[in-house]
Amino acid sequence: MKKTWIIAGLGLLMTLMLQATEPDGKKTSTMPEYGKWETFTTKNGLPANKIYCVRADGDRVWIGTSHGLVLYENDEFRTFTVEDGLAHPGVLSLDVSELTGDVWIGTLGGMNRYSGGQFTTFTQFNSGLANDVIYSVVCDGKDVWCATGGGAGHYNTYTEEWAIYTERNAPMHEPWTYSVCAGDNKVFIAAWGGGVIEYQNETGSFRDYIDPDGEMEIDLFPDDGVVHDITTAVSHANGILWVATYFGLSRYDGTHWKGYFDHDSGLSSNFINFVKANGDVAFFCTDEGLTSFNSEEWITYKTTETGGERVYWKDGNSSTKTDATGIAHNFTIGVDFQGDHIWVATSYGLSRGTRIN
Amino acid sequence: MRNLKNLHLAAILAIAALMLLLPVQDASAQSKDKDDNYGNTPSEMLPYGNYQDAYIYHFHEPQLFTGAGREKKEPTGLTEVRIGVLAPLSGNVMAPQGNQMLQGAMLAAEEANALGGYKGLPFKIMPHNDVGLWGAAANEVVKMSDEGAWAILGTIDDVNSHVAIRVALKLEIPVVNCGDPDPTFTETNIPWVIRVIGDDRQSSYALVDYIHRQKEHKRVAVLRANNRYGRVGVMEFRDAALRIGYPLVLEIRHNDGETSFTSQLERVRNSNPDAVLLWGNALEMGLIVNQMKEMGMDYPIYASDRSVNPLFIEIAGENANGIITTCQYNPKGDSPKLKAFQENYKKQFGIEPDVFAAHAYDGMNMIIQSIHMVGMNKALIRDKLTDLKTFQGYEGITGEIFLDPAWNDIGRIWMAEIKDGDYIFSPAIWKYE
Repeated sequence: MKKTWIIAGLGLLMTLMLQATEPDGKKTSTMPEYGKWETFTTKNGLPANKIYCVRADGDRVWIGTSHGLVLYENDEFRTFTVEDGLAHPGVLSLDVSELTGDVWIGTLGGMNRYSGGQFTTFTQFNSGLANDVIYSVVCDGKDVWCATGGGAGHYNTYTEEWAIYTERNAPMHEPWTYSVCAGDNKVFIAAWGGGVIEYQNETGSFRDYIDPDGEMEIDLFPDDGVVHDITTAVSHANGILWVATYFGLSRYDGTHWKGYFDHDSGLSSNFINFVKANGDVAFFCTDEGLTSFNSEEWITYKTTETGGERVYWKDGNSSTKTDATGIAHNFTIGVDFQGDHIWVATSYGLSRGTRIN
Repeated sequence: MRNLKNLHLAAILAIAALMLLLPVQDASAQSKDKDDNYGNTPSEMLPYGNYQDAYIYHFHEPQLFTGAGREKKEPTGLTEVRIGVLAPLSGNVMAPQGNQMLQGAMLAAEEANALGGYKGLPFKIMPHNDVGLWGAAANEVVKMSDEGAWAILGTIDDVNSHVAIRVALKLEIPVVNCGDPDPTFTETNIPWVIRVIGDDRQSSYALVDYIHRQKEHKRVAVLRANNRYGRVGVMEFRDAALRIGYPLVLEIRHNDGETSFTSQLERVRNSNPDAVLLWGNALEMGLIVNQMKEMGMDYPIYASDRSVNPLFIEIAGENANGIITTCQYNPKGDSPKLKAFQENYKKQFGIEPDVFAAHAYDGMNMIIQSIHMVGMNKALIRDKLTDLKTFQGYEGITGEIFLDPAWNDIGRIWMAEIKDGDYIFSPAIWKYE
């Protein structure tokens, strides 16, 4: 009998110890954590405080602002404007071709390629672009894809041929697209009102993923598909597709969908502007901070009046650590990674964090 | 026996301890007050409402805007306060309505200017045509932002209005919609957009009640426009009717610009309906009514809100008698403000104002009042328009405006019956609640 009690007691102790340590995240997790935040604004040489996007490029960083494209190199900011050849001052999206090193720039007035120090401009008037507002651009080998208000665009840089995909030739409800990403020899398009469209490079065929309940005002079941048809961003890494909406988050492993919301997970807000996966960890730019998730545990980075904080969440348990520094603003819009650094585009300033674990 | 008891106790303790480890996330569905359904939806018409509670019900709380911008100081050195108007102004079947919308907005701005404008600066309407290259509305919103518009009014076609608000979200510029009845327009959760005209959800509920409950029709056939206005509008009617037990017996389409509807009407006849619902533009609906009469089809006819249009009466003539439709306001109301607007509008533009002119007038006045309250700051203008206090119950010329948490106008819908070339308006009454 005594032995039984000892075993039960030990079990209880271990259980409680385990629970006590897990929310901390350090002892059992490989989740990256960031701190030592630095903030860059117009005071540091940026042309505007509204930062739409950020893209690391080796030792350099490209930054899209409401008033120009910025190159951060050797601790200095250099701004490119319309006078330099930029299609429009508002730079919404960026990507860098791994094949050529060319920078592809999605603006509010067309798309640019920055190559060899020169800008080339693509618009509805001189190319096969569906629309001049380029919400998202991604390079996938020789191909460049973009999401516009008039459909998804595909540009073959070898043949210089364009293709436009809309509701007329792809399984979209509407032609409006908002985000595009590539992975596993596929391209994924966040179609506003149409869920996610998957394009298979090998076959040139499409399939769509929509919210099965077919209703805008509810989500009937959280794990039956995309949580909402109004999708805002997609990112694919390590076989996982992450889908952001203004109504929550979806994760798709190729077989199962899983929905996450701010009331049942560590997601800081259902309003997600952008998502980017870095290996197994996905980062969500929300209107209430930057949230990261490795499919088990969550960390949200926020700015506070005294600095910043990290909010940990796992299995319903949460804890908070305060930091001397925080992200520039809680309305986050873009994110990218550069070695041990993370860059965050926000509504008021650009942030750089350093990995601390 | 005692050992067994102790074992039992130990097991319970261990299980209790293990339970501490189990996920305790709040995975339960969000609670929702059944009496507070989104969009005035009757409980019996809630999606899946007869079978299953949803995991989440959206639009019960307004989506806040937490971004920067409120700190920006009002600019100096401006000579005018610019406000964009996005509308179909030429090259489109809806251009007459788009121009009415523009004129309604212009009249509101002119009246505000006669009272001194904003701190002596005149309000300047910046009109932009949303018809053009593919996705033109997106490019036009960018142009409006580039030229310094503090807010945007518009537009009618939901294809363009959806495109416009996505750009408006990026540019963070407030949008007041006064002409697009697409329910999904405000179901995008964009915290920069309000709508001051009743949508097709409200119109559909009114029509479903009238057709199925009051007139007790059981077999309704729908002939609708093959465009987004027809598709999305009928979607709400179809779903609501189905949920109370009346599936459509037919839903068939026609294209804009089509002039002969014989094949569609033969199919309507073959579906053996006891009423027909038309959902499209005034021109095609008028032609359809005439062809139905020619073909001896005497079914009761109901029509979507775009039949409240002089063009519809002009085309259908006497054949329009008895047709019932909905309207987002009562143009024959006895409000002095409405009378004054109608008089001034006709004096200035030489025509009677339509539904788009009237709602544009209200929408523009709300923008102007917001600017008077908070100055030239887009985020603060947005805050005023969306706070669900300042303009809640706003008494415009189109009646009282009530915004739900999605900033959709859920104010009164009116029924309109055509008699001898005129519309007789009465408030819609939903009997089933």
